Amino acid sequence: MIEFKKVTKKYNHHFTALDGIDLEIKDGEFVSLVGPSGAGKSTLIKMLIKEDRPTSGKVILDEKDLADVPDKEIPYLRRKIGTIFQDFRLLESKTALENVAFALEVAGAEDDDIAKDVEQVLAIVGLADKKKNFPKELSGGEKQRLAIARALVHRPKIILADEPTGNLDLVNSFDVLKLLWRINELGTTVILATHDDKIVNTVGKRVISMDKGKIVRDQLEKGKYII
Amino acid sequence: MVEISTKQSLKRIFRTGWINFQRNRFMSLGATGTMALALLVLSGLIVLNFFTGQTVGFLDEKVDVSVYFQNDAKEDQILKIRSDLEEFKNVKSVSYISQNQALEDFKNRHKDNQLIQDSIAELENNPLQASLSIKAVDPSQYASIAQFLENNSLKEVIDKISFYENEAAINRIQGISKSLSRGGLGVTLLLALVAVLVTFNTIRLTIYNKKQEIEIMKLVGATNWHVRGPFLVEGGLYGLFASLATLAVFYPATHFISGKLLSFAPNINLFQHFMGNFGQMFVIIVGSGLALGIFGSMIAIRRHLKI
Repeated sequence: MIEFKKVTKKYNHHFTALDGIDLEIKDGEFVSLVGPSGAGKSTLIKMLIKEDRPTSGKVILDEKDLADVPDKEIPYLRRKIGTIFQDFRLLESKTALENVAFALEVAGAEDDDIAKDVEQVLAIVGLADKKKNFPKELSGGEKQRLAIARALVHRPKIILADEPTGNLDLVNSFDVLKLLWRINELGTTVILATHDDKIVNTVGKRVISMDKGKIVRDQLEKGKYII
Repeated sequence: MVEISTKQSLKRIFRTGWINFQRNRFMSLGATGTMALALLVLSGLIVLNFFTGQTVGFLDEKVDVSVYFQNDAKEDQILKIRSDLEEFKNVKSVSYISQNQALEDFKNRHKDNQLIQDSIAELENNPLQASLSIKAVDPSQYASIAQFLENNSLKEVIDKISFYENEAAINRIQGISKSLSRGGLGVTLLLALVAVLVTFNTIRLTIYNKKQEIEIMKLVGATNWHVRGPFLVEGGLYGLFASLATLAVFYPATHFISGKLLSFAPNINLFQHFMGNFGQMFVIIVGSGLALGIFGSMIAIRRHLKI
C-alpha cells in the first residue's frame, strides 16, 4: 500500500510542486493521475522512487516511511518499483534484449537467470521476435513496450508510468495501455500519470485529478478525465 | 526473484571498466603516458638513492683517519695512542702500520718499478712514517676523533692527521645526492599531480559521455558501487598499464646504464640489484600507479557523479 500524508514539496521556497497531498493507493489498484503540466504528477512519482524528497509530510510504502530508507538501500527500493517514461530512456547502443538484461545485470543476477527472465518478459510485451533489434530500429510503440519489459523484469509490485503515451500515436497508445492493463490484472499496482483524456476515459478506473500541486478530485470508480 | 551474486557483480564492474578503457583509446593513452612519465622519474629517484647509498657506503668503508708520526716517535708511544683511541667510543677500529711495514708496503706497491727500488736501496734511513689507520663508526665523527688526538698527551709525536679530504668527498657526494633527490622528488610530485589531473579529466569526460547510461542504471536499481565501480576500474587500469610500461622501460634502461657504470664503479651492479629486488620494485611501481589512477578517478566520481 502507498500512502501520502500531508506531503508538500517546495522548490527554492517560492514554487510549490505539491501542496499537502493526502492519498492512499491500495495494492493492485490501477490509478490514473491526471492534470495539466506542472500539476505535480511527476513530482508525486519521483517521491515514490526517492528521486526527490518531500519538504514536509510522509511518503509511506508498505508501512515503511521512505524517509527512513537509507541512501544505500534506494537501489533495492527501485527494484521493487518499475518506472516508464515518455522518452523511453533506452540505451541506443544496446539491443532490445541487452536493454532489458542490463536491468538485471546491474542488480548482480546470474547470466542463466538473466537469459531466461529476459526472454520471458520480452514475450509478454510481444517483442520476442525483435530482441536483436536496436532501439532505433523499433517504432515508438515498440520502444515503449521495451521500456515496460525492462520495468517488469524485476517483477515489481508497482509500475509507475509517467506520460508513457506522450510520444505515441493513438494505436500505439492503446497497445501500451492494454499492456499496462494486463500487468495490473496480474496483481501489480499501476500508477499512470497522463494528460491524455482518451486513454483515461478508456481505462475507466480510479482517476485522481491534480492542479497546482493539490488533489482537486478523486473518482474512486469509473473515473473520467475531469480537471 | 533472480539470485544476486557479488562475484557476478564484480566481474561485470571490471568488464565495464575494461570496455570504458578500450573505447576511450586515445584519452586512455594520454592518461597512461603521463602517469608512466611520473613513475619513470620516481624509479630514477629510486636508482639515485640506491647509487648514492652504495657509493657513500663504499667510501665510508674505504676512508679513514690516518695519523702519521714523527720519525723519532717510539713504538710504545704509538701503541699507547692506539689503545687510547680504541677506548674512544666513536672509533670502530685502529690498525697500526710501523715504519718497516710501511716500507714493505711501499716496496710491494712499486715492485715493478726498478728506479724506485734502486732509490730505496740507496737510502740509509727509512723515510716513511709509522701511522695509525682509524675507522670511525660514522664519517661525521672524524672531526671529534681529530679533536681527541689533538688533546692527547702524546700529541707532540704526531706529525700530521689526514682526514679532511675524505670527509669533503663524502660531503660532496651527499650534497649532490641530496639536491638531486630533492629536485627529483619535486619533479615526481609535479608529474604525479599532472597524472592525477589528466586521469581526473579523462574519467570526467567518460562520466559525461555516459550520463544517460548512469541515469538508467540508477533508475533500474543499480547499487552505487555498480555505478561508480567501472570508473574506479578504469582509473586503476591507467595506473596498471602505466606501471607495466614503466617497468618495461626501466629494466632495459638499467641494464644499459649498468654496463656503462661498471667501468668506473665496478662494485655497483645496478641491473643485478634491481633484478634481485624485482618483487619490491614491482610492488612500489604498480602500487604507486594504481594509487595515482584510482585517486584521480575518485576525485572525478566525487565531483561529477551524483548518486
